[in-house]
Amino acid sequence: MKLIISFLVAVGISLPLWAEEQAQLSLNALSHSIKTLNFSTSFVVVKNNEAEPYHWFHGVNEEGEELEILSLLNGARRDILRKGNIVSYIEPELPPYSIFSNDIKGPIPSIFAQDFTLLESSYDFISVGRSRVLGRTAQLVRIVSKDAHRYGHWVWLDQETGLLLKLVIANRAGQLLEQVQFTHLDISDVPADSLVQLQDTELPKVLEVPDDYEQPTLSWQVKWLPQGFESISTNRHRITLTKQPVEFMMFSDGLVDISVYVSPSNVRQRAVEFLMDGATVALNQVNNGFEVSVVGKIPSQTAKAIADSVALMTNPPK
Amino acid sequence: MSESKFETVSSLVDGYKINDEAFEQTMNDGEMSEAWNNYQLIGDVLRDEVKGLITDDISNQIAQAIADEPTVLAPKPSESFSQAVKAKVVKFAKPFGQMAIAASAAGLMVIGVQQNVAQNETFIPNQVLKTTPLGGIAEPVSLNFQSQNSDRNAQEKAFAEQQRRFQALLHDHEQQIKLTALVNTPKQPEKKAEETPK
Repeated sequence: MKLIISFLVAVGISLPLWAEEQAQLSLNALSHSIKTLNFSTSFVVVKNNEAEPYHWFHGVNEEGEELEILSLLNGARRDILRKGNIVSYIEPELPPYSIFSNDIKGPIPSIFAQDFTLLESSYDFISVGRSRVLGRTAQLVRIVSKDAHRYGHWVWLDQETGLLLKLVIANRAGQLLEQVQFTHLDISDVPADSLVQLQDTELPKVLEVPDDYEQPTLSWQVKWLPQGFESISTNRHRITLTKQPVEFMMFSDGLVDISVYVSPSNVRQRAVEFLMDGATVALNQVNNGFEVSVVGKIPSQTAKAIADSVALMTNPPK
Repeated sequence: MSESKFETVSSLVDGYKINDEAFEQTMNDGEMSEAWNNYQLIGDVLRDEVKGLITDDISNQIAQAIADEPTVLAPKPSESFSQAVKAKVVKFAKPFGQMAIAASAAGLMVIGVQQNVAQNETFIPNQVLKTTPLGGIAEPVSLNFQSQNSDRNAQEKAFAEQQRRFQALLHDHEQQIKLTALVNTPKQPEKKAEETPK
């Protein structure tokens, strides 16, 4: 009897550890595969009862340089091209431009091609089990937030290649908010033809910041953020569509990006309004003549708490 | 009467002198003197003696027609003007070069505004942007308005304004995510070097 109990206790302790370890292994395989394999794949992003289809190519040429194309297949052309550390965005709104970047910013979080251990302070990784996705055996790993201020990401990874087959963003109640479902996966020894073409294509001019560029010190600051979020960008710019000048701050925990906007308003007070676009919340309120907006893939309570914590910088540094 | 009247004119033109009184009368009658003029003109044309004559009336008419023509107030832009502007812009841009990156990126974004507003309005139907009511903390955006209110128009306008605001925020968020690499990539030069083996 004692033996059985001690056995159960041992299993009870070791099982979560084993699951954590399995999850780590699977995620490491994912980031390795995304960077090194030649693949041609299609997926749909499902949100708001709509499906957006994409085509995604990745390859590594003979010189070891990564080549990547991500195209939206419906509506106006939106293509992202990448050659090594140059990424070009081709969109209907803007003339094409390139920037130095090691990843493309699309529906797949860029951390998936990087080191998952960067997320360890904010998330737990749990290997849940196997299922069948895209006709393949898939390992389900849940990336679970350590606190209640973030959504969970569930990823289904191909047992054979480690590549992503499905991604779901869900709230803590398990309600599905947004998903990326792969519909086709082709792995080859050499890069796809379109990537070979890309290699000979001249990319648009690269925008660069001068070495001595410093991000401006803003007069507003965010006093509360969920643990793990760090500032990755601050600037003053005009919102593209409304031309409204704003003070802007962007924070990231490695997986999720949050934008905070502050601007004077012609209204003195306006109650909180928010809108959900898949997992992305856009929240807006006016307090004492100042408009604060928060946008990101976070629960609306978190966005509200961030918006409420925005305050005038008491003694600006420097 | 009128027939015989013109007959008199005709006779006069042909050189049959009826009498001085009839001639006087013909010249004083406006209608008949015009007929006289016309007959003389016809005669001149037949005799090939017109020359400058024809210009008289027609050129008057043309001048009149030209005067009545509406003026087109759309002068073509003169070449030199647009060139001067271009030159100025270039002069403006050169000293800054790529320094004002934030500004240029913002400028890039501004260019697309008009199409984008129109596009978004047709592209994303309102219903697509779902809202989730939430206990206590926030007043959710409602898609169902009470239509009994007399200020329905004002409400609709406010609603459209609100949709536009959110649309702008979502779009800008996406754009800024792409641009973060501008300020963040140079911070990891070792990674950059590693990925550019050329």
